[in-house]
Amino acid sequence: MSEVIQRDTMLSYITGSVESSAESVAIRAINERGREDLEKTPFPTRKDEDWRFVDLKSITKSQFCKLEEANAADVGDISEHYLPEAMNCRLVFVNGVYNEELSSVEDLPNNVIVGNLAANADNNSVKEHLGTITNYDDDVFAPFNDAAFTDGAFIYVPEETVVRTPIHILNVFTDAEKAFYATPRLLYVGEMFSKSTIIEEHIGLADNQYLNVPVTEFKMFTGSNVHHARIQRDSKNASHVSRPIAILDKNAEYHSYTICLGAKLFRNDPRVIQNAEEVNFTVDGLVLIDGNQIADTHSIMDHRFAHAGSHQLHKVVVNDSAHSVFNGKIFVAKDAQKIDSFQENRNLLLSENGKVNTKPQLEIFADDVLCSHGATIGQLQDEEVFYLQSRGLTEQKSRELLVYAFALESVESMEVESVEKLLLSEVIEYTNRDNK
Amino acid sequence: MLEIKNLHASVEGEDIEILKGVNLKVNAGEIHAIMGPNGSGKSTLAKVVSGHPEYEVTQGEILFNGEDITELDADERAHMGLFLAFQYPVEVPGITNKTLLREAYNTIARANDREELDPLEFEDYITEKLDVIEMKDQFLSRSINTGFSGGEKKKNEIFQMAVLNPVLSFLDETDSGLDIDALKVVSDGVNKIANSENAIVMITHYQRLLNYIKPDHVHVMMAGKLIKSGGFELAEELEANGYDALEKELVLNGEAQ
Ligand SMILES: Nc1ncnc2c1ncn2[C@@H]1O[C@H](COP(=O)(O)OP(=O)(O)O)[C@@H](O)[C@H]1O
Ligand SMILES: [Mg+2]
Repeated sequence: MSEVIQRDTMLSYITGSVESSAESVAIRAINERGREDLEKTPFPTRKDEDWRFVDLKSITKSQFCKLEEANAADVGDISEHYLPEAMNCRLVFVNGVYNEELSSVEDLPNNVIVGNLAANADNNSVKEHLGTITNYDDDVFAPFNDAAFTDGAFIYVPEETVVRTPIHILNVFTDAEKAFYATPRLLYVGEMFSKSTIIEEHIGLADNQYLNVPVTEFKMFTGSNVHHARIQRDSKNASHVSRPIAILDKNAEYHSYTICLGAKLFRNDPRVIQNAEEVNFTVDGLVLIDGNQIADTHSIMDHRFAHAGSHQLHKVVVNDSAHSVFNGKIFVAKDAQKIDSFQENRNLLLSENGKVNTKPQLEIFADDVLCSHGATIGQLQDEEVFYLQSRGLTEQKSRELLVYAFALESVESMEVESVEKLLLSEVIEYTNRDNK
Repeated sequence: MLEIKNLHASVEGEDIEILKGVNLKVNAGEIHAIMGPNGSGKSTLAKVVSGHPEYEVTQGEILFNGEDITELDADERAHMGLFLAFQYPVEVPGITNKTLLREAYNTIARANDREELDPLEFEDYITEKLDVIEMKDQFLSRSINTGFSGGEKKKNEIFQMAVLNPVLSFLDETDSGLDIDALKVVSDGVNKIANSENAIVMITHYQRLLNYIKPDHVHVMMAGKLIKSGGFELAEELEANGYDALEKELVLNGEAQ
């Protein structure tokens, strides 16, 4: 007789049932599908290969409630978080709920849509693509978002249209009496030869505990181009599990840059799927963590057709007892010839107790492929610190400059000046904490 | 200006004594040369004076303008006007020469209650200094020493010296790696910087550099000590007879250990 081991599902860590108040039939269908997946998929443990290094107790030792039951604080004035470049091109979500008053969308080119999903539920692109791009097997987090979301951000850029203003998707989280969950959602549809820059930000306004499970879907039609910056500055007690995915048609370009600064537990599974020949994409990351933070990136660059150029530079700075995990999968299918793929994971360890696990994972079934990958773990060089110090810089300033120099490449890719400045000041704050 | 008294130094945390009782006095307006065979402790002396944490002073003291600086950090010594041109300048990718120098210049200015320079003023100031060492301005926006040739690195050290305008500079084998043209440019630069208010201590292996920058005093270092001092003629003597001859002579006189 075989013993059936009943494993917990995601629902074990959620108070009450997961329901969505969505009115749209399309969204409700996805909610239903999500609930079914949730009920039958066990919650991951360290015995699962993809979760081997991650301590999930900041989720499993808690119970997360609906926002309505959390007694969350009002949002107040958050204008300091607005980007000057995107003053009239901003969607604000407070604890996952769309806030029309704080959002501002003006002066967009004809037929560009930057709005919330609920209000655009009847849009053909929403009906056609929402929930169809996400593709995570045996996952509990994408289904959790599927099951619970009622709204989200929707960006639609029509054919041959360039949006020159960066589009700011600002998710803020307020203090609350109880730990709550939020399921932000973003659908991007770029028609043929369209182009835009998206700044997706997650900011915790206090240091409360919450669970942030965003799903972002990018449908990139032929020749479309997107620059997608993701800045995670969640509360230091939050858990953030992200599922960002993009699917690329011929000649499409998708460049993503994920910056991880906040959260106690950050797990990010970016995936880029090639859907036709000749595409270009980037899956860069910058992680600055300290204290007991955990940041885990499990990415997939999925080359399914010939002629792709892909780039992944994942840079990590670890201090105190923080822990970084990187698992970068590069898939190249049998007939996907002429792939040029670059992957590098560079780690800077500032403390003795910091931990880094890194693993490139290449599965290449084509033969005419250029694929380079590497990982390094290093420390600040004493000789470099002394050199700068001998010129009059304090030890603190010297370290700060060296960490900044390490992070610089990733920061420079932001292309939006205020975001570069923001990241610079974050680096300075990070190195200052080092010297407490 | 600088007075080193019976200086003993070891590698921090280890029982390896490298400096074994160095005495040296440098006055304003003077140029000194320290010569000596490889491994005799010349670089260690320069690093100990500039505050390298790798070494520990176990005996003696370093007085700078009358103040004991033995316990000060490297940046505090730099604020007082000490400068070290490294034998092996360090490559620092990602930080430009200009960023380093502006930060350094202004930090030193602040420490001395002098006016800081804003980015535009600094641009003018630093551009002027490029002439001292005949450097192109692309140099400023390159990462510190990254991908520089050996000669470029040495030139960059002297350029930094020109910008920071130190009171006392140790130049550690600045001549090595320089071809004859570069050597002339670098020596000209040093001669332009030298004046009656500051002082320079050159560390070198060869007399070559001393033909372009005339020292007032020459010292010979062996096994962690300055064993002989003299004028320019001492350098000539060394060039002609080598260190071995000097060592023998000292043994005969019962001066070496
Ligand atoms: N950090 C160190 N650890 C161990 N030995 C050292 C260290 N620094 C210098 N030494 C030793 O001290 C001696 C003097 O070195 P150095 O000052 O570089 O000589 P020089 O510049 O005269 O050639 C050498 O034997 C060298 O190996
Ligand atoms: Mg030396």
